Amino acid sequence: MNLAFRDIRHHFGRFMTTSAVVGLLFTVVLAMAGIYQGLVDDATVLLDRTNADLWVVQRGTRGPFADPSRLDPSLELRVAAVPGVLSARAFTMQVLQREHGDGQLRFALVGLAFPDDRGDELAVVQGHALQQAHGELIADASLGVSIGEVLRLGHDDYRVVGLTSQLLGSGGDAVVLATIADAQRILGDDSSDALIAERERRLARLRATDLGQSQPLLEDLVVDPRWTFPALAAPPIQAVLVRASPSRVAEVRASLSRWSDVTVWTRAEEETLILQGMVAKARLQLGLFAVILIVTSSLLLAAVLYNLTMEKAHDIAILKLLGARTTRIVGLVLQQAWAMAIVAYGVALVIGSEAFPSFPRRVVLTDASVIGVGVLLFVVSTLASVAGIVYALRIDPGPVLES
Amino acid sequence: MEALRAEHLDKRYGTGETEVWALRDVELVLRSGEVVALLGPSGSGKSTLIKVLGLVTRADHGDLWMNGVRIFDDGRPVADVGDLRRSHIGFVFQKANLIPFLSARSNIEIACEIGEKYPPRARADELLDYLGIAHRGDAYPNMLSGGEQQRVAIARALANAPSLILADEPTAALDKERGRAVMELLRRVAHEQGTAVVIVTHDHRSLDVFDATYEMEDGRLSARAQQT
Repeated sequence: MNLAFRDIRHHFGRFMTTSAVVGLLFTVVLAMAGIYQGLVDDATVLLDRTNADLWVVQRGTRGPFADPSRLDPSLELRVAAVPGVLSARAFTMQVLQREHGDGQLRFALVGLAFPDDRGDELAVVQGHALQQAHGELIADASLGVSIGEVLRLGHDDYRVVGLTSQLLGSGGDAVVLATIADAQRILGDDSSDALIAERERRLARLRATDLGQSQPLLEDLVVDPRWTFPALAAPPIQAVLVRASPSRVAEVRASLSRWSDVTVWTRAEEETLILQGMVAKARLQLGLFAVILIVTSSLLLAAVLYNLTMEKAHDIAILKLLGARTTRIVGLVLQQAWAMAIVAYGVALVIGSEAFPSFPRRVVLTDASVIGVGVLLFVVSTLASVAGIVYALRIDPGPVLES
Repeated sequence: MEALRAEHLDKRYGTGETEVWALRDVELVLRSGEVVALLGPSGSGKSTLIKVLGLVTRADHGDLWMNGVRIFDDGRPVADVGDLRRSHIGFVFQKANLIPFLSARSNIEIACEIGEKYPPRARADELLDYLGIAHRGDAYPNMLSGGEQQRVAIARALANAPSLILADEPTAALDKERGRAVMELLRRVAHEQGTAVVIVTHDHRSLDVFDATYEMEDGRLSARAQQT
């Protein structure tokens, strides 16, 4: 006869309620693991989908996800000419927040080297890749826009022609893809007031120099919008993405590394830089929070199991008088702890699978985290039952005789 | 047959000025099927004697035999006390003390499982039938009357066909009529099953049920002349 099961059946409602509360706590533990994995996935998804063997960035910087990197656009052609390079693409990325309708759109604007790169490799799930050099966007579905929707960015309209799924920037913002020219136009499309202010600043700087004081005609040149309008300048790119012949990646890297103006990172190195940089602190934060939560949950579980055992002290004393072996007494406490852990685990999984998709940041449940939380719950429930077991084993059956 | 023999049992609680003799040179012999009453005022040592005889508490000194097997030699255990309690002793308490999350039948079955002598289900049904409560087998303790609960408790005590049943005021929580019925039931059980029964009681009106009556005072046990 399984006494633990009989007791649970007799107090089914209370047992399930208590287990559900424990389950809710472990839902948060599961969420911690999922949020962390989501952070990692979000941070590296663009890196993965761009599918470059090498990232060529400004000398001494760590790539567009970690550092500002400014490169002359001509670098794309220089890299393409290196023996062993299959393709070289310019890459730009900037996080923007613009008004749209009644709300705000926040996204990572990534420039594609059109027409060589139309966004085909970034897994367009609806619509199509870029087909025109100007006025088209591919947006991630998480941005909440739909195919055919027109976004007013700066002074131009851009039509959404394709949607991707879960293509996010390293900060978790939806990625919007445009041609590099459009991306630069959007970034440089300052307001009239900003342009006037910039013109005044240039004028002031010129007048502060000897040249400006001796050559007043230069002022006309400095404030001429044809020379200073950002969209007309040759804007920098942030990186050049290189795909090399599989057998010659190291050779290409060695060649590029000899150039004095660039630093070359492999895809794996770039991923490490991302994870060690922006994800590391978040991981530590989530980890510490999870530890506190696990300790709290364990203590709560221990208190619950201890109380359950205390409530059964009289019954355990009777069992002892009947001659019940220690294994049966221990089994009663331990099996209830495990039963509670199983119910709590089920609650955590069900609530997690239902609620996590609605979280603002992606929560990714991997097999490892799901199994890990299960194992953790098993260990915690076993350890938490120790206090109950010790209490049960110390119960003196004698007083029952007098009751 | 001698079910139980106790010789020179001593038990003290406390030390110095707070020292109390709970048992003082107690001697007792019980034959199989014998029903004896244990009388005495509160604090006289009755419950301590029940605990010592029930192998729940050890005496400081003295010897104890059960079915001819020595269990304590001058207070030291010389046999597997746990095993003896499982298979040779049954307890009945003031309250029925049934396990509340088990049905009447399961309360008996669990004792059978612990004793490992009989198939639990068949033995439980047999005892429920024997004690006239077969129709209440599926009821939980809170659904049973006080008398029914005590019958289930007696059935549980009989589960492993013990040679000794120890009952500490088993009728204290019952009215006179039901209390009398329980006493007579214990007597019937003792005579039919050959079980020695020791009953601690304050109910002097039921003394005619017993084969012998003992009285305790200040830890000393003395036989009392049988009243008719």
